[in-house]
Amino acid sequence: MNKILLIIQREYLSRVKKKSFIVMTLLTPVIIAGFYGITIYFSIQGIKGTSNKIAVVNENKTLTEKLVSTRNATYTYVNQSLPQMKANLATEGYDYVLYLPEFNLDAPAGIQLLGTKQAGLTLNSKVSDDIENVIRNQKLKESGLAQKDLDNLKSSVDIDMKKIGETGKEEDSSAGASTVIAYVAGVLMFMFILLYGIQVMRGVIEEKTNRIIEVMISSVKPFQLMMGKIIGIALVGLTQFILWIVLTGAISTAVVKIYANKSTATKTEVATAMKNQSDSKMLKDATEKSPIGSIQKSLANLNVTKIITLFLFFFIGGYLFYSALYAAIGSAVDSETETQQFMFPVMMPLLLGYTLSLSVITNDPYGNMAFWLSMIPFTSPIAMMVRLPYGVPDWQLALSMALLILGFIGTVWVASRIYRVGILMYGKKTSLKEMIKWFTYKN
Amino acid sequence: MLSVNNIVKQYAGHRALDDVSLTVEKGKIFGLLGPNGAGKTSLIRIITQITAPDSGEVIFNGQRLNSNHIAQIGYLPEERGLYKKMEIGEQVLYLARLKGLTTAEATKRVRYWFEKLEMGSWWNKKVEDLSKGMQQKVQFVATILHQPELIILDEPFSGFDPVNAEIIKNEILELNKQGATFIFSTHRMESVEELCDNIALIHRSKKILDGSVEEIRNNYRNQTYWLEYDGAFDTDIPSDIFEIHQQDHKEGKTKLKVQLREGKSANDMLAVLLPLVNIQRLDEVIPTMNDIFIEKVKTQN
Repeated sequence: MNKILLIIQREYLSRVKKKSFIVMTLLTPVIIAGFYGITIYFSIQGIKGTSNKIAVVNENKTLTEKLVSTRNATYTYVNQSLPQMKANLATEGYDYVLYLPEFNLDAPAGIQLLGTKQAGLTLNSKVSDDIENVIRNQKLKESGLAQKDLDNLKSSVDIDMKKIGETGKEEDSSAGASTVIAYVAGVLMFMFILLYGIQVMRGVIEEKTNRIIEVMISSVKPFQLMMGKIIGIALVGLTQFILWIVLTGAISTAVVKIYANKSTATKTEVATAMKNQSDSKMLKDATEKSPIGSIQKSLANLNVTKIITLFLFFFIGGYLFYSALYAAIGSAVDSETETQQFMFPVMMPLLLGYTLSLSVITNDPYGNMAFWLSMIPFTSPIAMMVRLPYGVPDWQLALSMALLILGFIGTVWVASRIYRVGILMYGKKTSLKEMIKWFTYKN
Repeated sequence: MLSVNNIVKQYAGHRALDDVSLTVEKGKIFGLLGPNGAGKTSLIRIITQITAPDSGEVIFNGQRLNSNHIAQIGYLPEERGLYKKMEIGEQVLYLARLKGLTTAEATKRVRYWFEKLEMGSWWNKKVEDLSKGMQQKVQFVATILHQPELIILDEPFSGFDPVNAEIIKNEILELNKQGATFIFSTHRMESVEELCDNIALIHRSKKILDGSVEEIRNNYRNQTYWLEYDGAFDTDIPSDIFEIHQQDHKEGKTKLKVQLREGKSANDMLAVLLPLVNIQRLDEVIPTMNDIFIEKVKTQN
């Protein structure tokens, strides 16, 4: 036991003392905070609206209803022909020209949006929405509705989403925020397992190529060496993760404070934007994406401590599960370039878990697929983290955790049998078949 | 102190050791010889408990080999290395502590050895900054630091210049004088003759020869002599007493390598030659370990 501690100590210190570790640990929070800042900035800009000035050339005689300007698009009807307008677009101060030709209201065709720059997807869909609205209004009016009735037609609906908790208590929920948290957790988990799993593999290969392995193995058991390395690197990962949380938190708070002090106007603008669930699609997007908005609101409901604790558990579990396999791969090869053929079978389930979690689970967090993905240890660390913000029954959580523990005991056992043989093999190309044979070797 | 009894080690499709037995006496230097791939490393790995034999047993100081013995064995493998990015001092300390030394004790001993082998200024250097010979010295220190009773050295002199090889050889002899037992695996037969008390020769997974170096060389004497005299070679010299294997004439001298025939002695030869030529030198050819090694391995093939 004492020897494992010594190995853990060396593996930990030798990595934490590296310059690259220190730089990565300090730099990442700055990048994350910067990203966070930029997101806030742009969501505010989006709300303020970089309004697009659109000149409308209407040659359609039947369409008398006018397009209504909104925050993101100002429509100005001009009495010029399309070629004239095209030539004068910049001098007259317009961004785009919208051309409405003569068409049948039942089958509009030939509408063009021209500009010096390519219109974005959002603008495109907004303009077409607006035109659809106008046509609908026109048709409704033709069928005899008065303008007054038309105004009454629209009533704003705001669904207050509540999830009924196990105790019957109503809990606030927000699909948008859950999705964002699920994504972040899923991506982080995937990154962490991959990043530190590969570090284990590199460490094993390093010992082999440096030829220190035989010296080591004459002092300690291969299992001790492998576990020492795995645990040591896990601690490096945890150290980095915790430092990231603390530093990112500190920097973000500082940035938000400075920003808020500088412009209180902006702050209120953000606040009103948050509350105002208006019909503008852009605004809605911005509100959902805005990190200070609903995410923080539902974070409060989601029990952050529980999420972080479970994240740490699934991170360690998933990491142990995969890193043992990476250690086995490292032991079987002489250099990193030879790892390709073995990396694939190990990467596959991880990648599968990642993509399925982020597509299937975020769409249907309570379905069968989500359940099984979050139970099988190969995918459960990512899948469970993605499911968590939507709410997972305690028994499923417990079962998944138990299966993950069993899973990593299993992979550690399998890997250690391959490892003890693999580390002493030099200069041989190893096949998967050979690794299976090693597994069956007697001591 | 160490006896290896009927060890068999089977790898997939290939038997690395086939019923090998040998005994290493306390305080002796034991040479483990054999061509490449004979099974030496497999045997050493069993003694150092890196692998276990399929059958047979190893007895260390009267006990069946177990993990308590790890601290009493020092092993310098042929495939040896160090952590490249780690500082030398820290690294040797780490290896010593893995063998069970306390930090304080290990530090004291590392300082002593670094001083003794003039490595004092290397403490904070990284391995990648040292030459191969310097790294070998560090590895040697790491091997013996925990004062093992049994020290196993696989090709200890490869990579050393003659000066450093001499320094290491003297350290080996001094440690041996203080009571350490050595197992020594090498292809350099001259160092076997110089250092080893006993040897075992392994070829194709089997032990084909063992005993004391002196005895083995004596046993392989085959009545061969170097003979030198003034004057040219004379074909009239009667050849029923000896057979000539090699002859050489230079500057009025003749040099012959002769082997006596069955039942004849050197005196018989001299009696014939004395009246005829002026003898200058007569030396018995005692076969070198190199000759014995080559002959044994060849005849086995």
